[in-house]
Amino acid sequence: MIRIAAVGDVHIDKDVVGRYRPALEELPDRADVLLLAGDLTRHGTEDEARCVATEFGGLGVPVIAVLGNHDHQSDQPDAVTRVLTDAGITVLEGTGTVLDCGGTRLGVAGAKGFGGGFAGRCASNFGEPEMKAFVGTTERIADRLGEALRALDCDVKVALTHYSPVPDTLVGEPLEIYPFLGCYQLGRAIDSAGTALALHGHAHHGTERGTTPGGVRVRNVAHPVIKQAYSVYHLLGDDAEESEPGALVHAGQ
Amino acid sequence: MTQHHADIATNRPLDEYVEAEVQRMLTEDGRVAEQGLTVSRREHTLILCGDVESVQRRDEIVRLIREQFPGIDLSVDIGLTRAGAPAEAEELS
Repeated sequence: MIRIAAVGDVHIDKDVVGRYRPALEELPDRADVLLLAGDLTRHGTEDEARCVATEFGGLGVPVIAVLGNHDHQSDQPDAVTRVLTDAGITVLEGTGTVLDCGGTRLGVAGAKGFGGGFAGRCASNFGEPEMKAFVGTTERIADRLGEALRALDCDVKVALTHYSPVPDTLVGEPLEIYPFLGCYQLGRAIDSAGTALALHGHAHHGTERGTTPGGVRVRNVAHPVIKQAYSVYHLLGDDAEESEPGALVHAGQ
Repeated sequence: MTQHHADIATNRPLDEYVEAEVQRMLTEDGRVAEQGLTVSRREHTLILCGDVESVQRRDEIVRLIREQFPGIDLSVDIGLTRAGAPAEAEELS
């Protein structure tokens, strides 16, 4: 069994530091890994990233993250990534990493994702340059996520995004803004790789549970949705010889 | 600090343009940066719903709306996102 803790949309700044820590200190007893589904900061500054590093660093379990739209607000995603990486947090963007969880190799591939909408009600790569750039971004990020998922050499695959891969987990949000909350291309990428679980955030008024067209379980772990410091999901797999939980097997670029 | 919406700090009827401006201010004003709040109108009252991560953030939202949209009847139903450890896990076979 693999135990995955996850939360997104924590929007950390100085006024929040310490708030999650009591629950986070329990993680080694509850989970093999913590996945952070983007919007870690408010405005994507280095100072805020340091607050995230203080809150989510040194937890005793590996921490894997993707960035969200808030983390891009100050146009410094590389600086945010560097601060988090220096704190021991693995940041994925079209990349993957593999952990050994008690003898089972857990592969996580992640990307921020983007909007665009869902099948039959989505934006098209057509018309003005701005529209082509928008949907081109959607397609490019999803393609990279699919490649990263398919490249994972592991026993169990989990996809981590900020934007949603399905409309199911957006229920509660206004229908009119679905195209800004996710895109079907992420779902297609997840369905292309034998993924066991897909985690995302971004939709604060959404719903926790959904599935992709291919049957992959999707969970919206945005903090206002799960209403706790993190959720824990037990992925039931083959029992294997015990080894050190969370030992890093391979990290992608 | 940027001072947005200074041009609209006058008493105005609560219409959909005010609703739209409040929604955009909540996201775009760097002192707030909240996309996850719902803004709606009921008769002459503007209603804010959702969760934020600290009491200070909620107070700042109310202060800015009162400053930039004076005279608006405001109903604030913004909670503090809970940060406790989970009581149980979900088993996924």
